[in-house]
Amino acid sequence: MSRGRRVQVPSLLGAMPSAFTQEPVRRADSGRRRFLFAVPPLAGHVNPTVAVAAELTRRGHRVAWVGHPPSLEGLLKPGSKVYPAEDPEFTAGLEQARRDWLSLRGPAALKFLWEEFIVPLGHAMMPGVEDAVERFRPDVIVSDQQVLAGPVAARLHDIPWATSATTSAEFTRPLAGMPLVEEWVREQIGDFQLDYDIDDLLDLRFSDHLVLIFSTGALIGDTSFFPDHFAFVGPALGRPPGSDFPWEWLEEDKPAVLVSLGTVNGEAGRRFFQIAAEAVRDMDVQAVFVTPPGTLPDPPPNLLVRGHVPQLELLPRMSAVITHGGHNTVCESLAHGLPLVVAPIRDDQPVIARQVTAAGAGLAVRFARVREQELQDALGEVLTDDRYRQAACRVRESFENAGGAVEAADRLEKMT
Amino acid sequence: MTQSSDVLGEVVGMLVEVVGEDFLLDTEIGPDTTFNDELALESIEFVALAEKLQDRYGGRVDFAAFIAGLGLDEIMNMTVGDLVRHIEARLQPAAV
Repeated sequence: MSRGRRVQVPSLLGAMPSAFTQEPVRRADSGRRRFLFAVPPLAGHVNPTVAVAAELTRRGHRVAWVGHPPSLEGLLKPGSKVYPAEDPEFTAGLEQARRDWLSLRGPAALKFLWEEFIVPLGHAMMPGVEDAVERFRPDVIVSDQQVLAGPVAARLHDIPWATSATTSAEFTRPLAGMPLVEEWVREQIGDFQLDYDIDDLLDLRFSDHLVLIFSTGALIGDTSFFPDHFAFVGPALGRPPGSDFPWEWLEEDKPAVLVSLGTVNGEAGRRFFQIAAEAVRDMDVQAVFVTPPGTLPDPPPNLLVRGHVPQLELLPRMSAVITHGGHNTVCESLAHGLPLVVAPIRDDQPVIARQVTAAGAGLAVRFARVREQELQDALGEVLTDDRYRQAACRVRESFENAGGAVEAADRLEKMT
Repeated sequence: MTQSSDVLGEVVGMLVEVVGEDFLLDTEIGPDTTFNDELALESIEFVALAEKLQDRYGGRVDFAAFIAGLGLDEIMNMTVGDLVRHIEARLQPAAV
């Protein structure tokens, strides 16, 4: 291990390495390529890869995933090839880590994310990713932004690699106002590479071959200064088919609102759901709350509580969405032209909430201390002031033009 | 001494407004109160606090510049007293 050395990781907007420093060798073109997706045990980070992989498969390529098999079950199509990359000790601690994470905010959550999740996940996945490389022999590794083992294995084995950025928060430089914290993050990434004797350090969050960002400038803001290998392809909607839903419950002529806090925050959001229930009780709306039914024992009649919903099928019937600001739910809502009320909790969510408000497609409210009136006002405003819906429709249009999974597949094919 | 307690009092007042008095029934905000662990200030509340500081002290106190000079652990463990001391230091030359 070579922790003693300290080599500068270039910053995103500083000395960005040129796109094609190592021109990949172009093989005799059989057309058929092999793509390996390296993913973390987080549903939101897996879903977009499913849509991209389906498009690649449709074109005759072979795809496989490397990650934690139990976490991937139910997210991937049946029969998908999965190579295990896990460490029993890390996996055993994962549930506790998730619980600890729920109590953290802001900088504490950032420190935890890197020290207790991203870095140990990278080490835990390393042997499995190298094994997958040996057995699957990918032409390209598509690595999630939070999987450091993907790019490191790719670099050690001289395989082209792409970044899969399933949240766009890193592209608005959220830490620009905290240069010492930004530096600290780059140190974590640098140390990880030094541990595998790579001392030509890269910022592993941004491949120097291809970065797939599942959003567009219409939501992120100015993207014109990014190099060409940053591909803003828009959402690739890859949620698994949803559960059933009592469609007859929805009335045709009444605005309907979906309230969802994602897969990780359901339990921590108990208070939020209770306040939200009070907020919608007296409003002329129908509300679908995605939370275990026990959270709200006695919901008002205009409120439906479901543990799971077929979100992509449900969104076309909605008028607005209240969410914690998970990137997938935000982009899925905007892809349907729906205005948002965002109550960000941690991690990238405050950044995504700012993207939404800056785009004019919604309002932000507090999470832990939100008040009934605060939610009522925000929801009422995005439902009645048409400018929010118009802004959401502008984002939808830009998403449609960006190409999604098809464009992502085009760009990945061009890598080999 | 009087100035110190003035600034502390003002900052505490701003925090009570931002957070809401009813959420602070069990919390006595003092110099040792931490923004993250104890107050669990959310990003929206930080923005609201920064606006209040700007309104009260104008350009003399630059909250963003203060944060920019801090490392991750310092930001994590930042107390009300840290902010108050920064404000006092910035007010000092102008006040004399």
